[in-house]
Amino acid sequence: MKNAFKFLLLSALTIPAVSFSHDVLAQQAAKPEQLIKWRQSAYQLLAWNNGRIKSNLDAQYNKDEVAKAANSIAAIANSGLGSLFAAGTETGKGWHDTAAKPALFSAGSKAGEYSAAFTKEANELAHLAATADQAAVKDQFGKLGKTCKACHDDYKAKD
Amino acid sequence: MDDGIRTPQALRVWDLPTRLFHWLLVAAVTTAIASGLAGGNWMAVHGKAGLAIAGLVAFRLVWGFVGNRYARFTNFAPTPRVLKTYLRGEWQGHGHNPLGALSVLVLLILLSTQVGTGLFGNDEIAFTGPLAGLVSESLSLRLTGLHHQLAIALYLLLGLHVVAILFHTVVKKDNLVKPMLTGYKETIQETPHPTPAKVGWASLVFALATALGTLYVASGAPLQAETPSATPSRSGTDSSQPSW
Repeated sequence: MKNAFKFLLLSALTIPAVSFSHDVLAQQAAKPEQLIKWRQSAYQLLAWNNGRIKSNLDAQYNKDEVAKAANSIAAIANSGLGSLFAAGTETGKGWHDTAAKPALFSAGSKAGEYSAAFTKEANELAHLAATADQAAVKDQFGKLGKTCKACHDDYKAKD
Repeated sequence: MDDGIRTPQALRVWDLPTRLFHWLLVAAVTTAIASGLAGGNWMAVHGKAGLAIAGLVAFRLVWGFVGNRYARFTNFAPTPRVLKTYLRGEWQGHGHNPLGALSVLVLLILLSTQVGTGLFGNDEIAFTGPLAGLVSESLSLRLTGLHHQLAIALYLLLGLHVVAILFHTVVKKDNLVKPMLTGYKETIQETPHPTPAKVGWASLVFALATALGTLYVASGAPLQAETPSATPSRSGTDSSQPSW
């Protein structure tokens, strides 16, 4: 009887405590440093894949290689990069100091438009990389680059 | 000489190489600005325009030492004393006036720096300067940042250049564009007659050779010739990469 009571009491105390701490962990947002690291990593992946396409266009064109790279770019573009630019990450250090200008965080819908343009051209590039010839891919690669530039010009700090 | 031996005549101030340099530079800089602003696949054109500017500026720098008297830096050095004389309206001379000379020198320095930073830069999208491989990634990016900032200074100076020419043509009734096209400037000359601009052929060959040499080095061609296998193909067929 005494043991049963002890068990009940212990359960009554620990279950809410455990579930509470579980909730806390689940709700805990990623730290700004982590978000900045993720987004810097995402752009490094974009740089890798963009570079692959560029070198394929400049030298020997390998359709499979370009398709892999274009799919990777499209996947990152569709991943919801905007969530990595959450409030609180205006300044700070990930792998290095963030290169995003404070203006990006107050840009409102304009940042979203840039992002949508990038995603649209990235999807089209992935589509063409699988189906079209080198000339069409080159043309689309240029269009994609312009969407990179538009955002860099406005919101990426120059060293 | 106040007895009035003043005759209007055409003095040859700008020789053909100087004029060709000027208008080719106008074309190359215009192309570089437009293609740089456009981005995307236009960046390939931007790189070529930059190389053209490298060759042209190299030519002009050499021409400033071995060219004709009106092209030589020593003959239009805008020293403070000369500038003061000019601003008081007492300057008498032919070729670049002292303020124009100052503008010429700053433009040449700015264009050289702009080309230099571009050659080592990369835009973090799809353009890499032909000499970027010689420096670290972080230095390359710093130079690119400088390239962007200097572009604004260049716009301002080019704007001033055009406005000044308009001012001379419209307000001071002194057409500066025509001599840069024809080579001849109509002047009221006092004797003794100023020496007209003449081209020295050896100097011309030397300046052209320097320009071509600059073009060759700036294009990164020597780097590629040196290390033919140092740039591994990323096409996926390279045997130095795992197949996955």
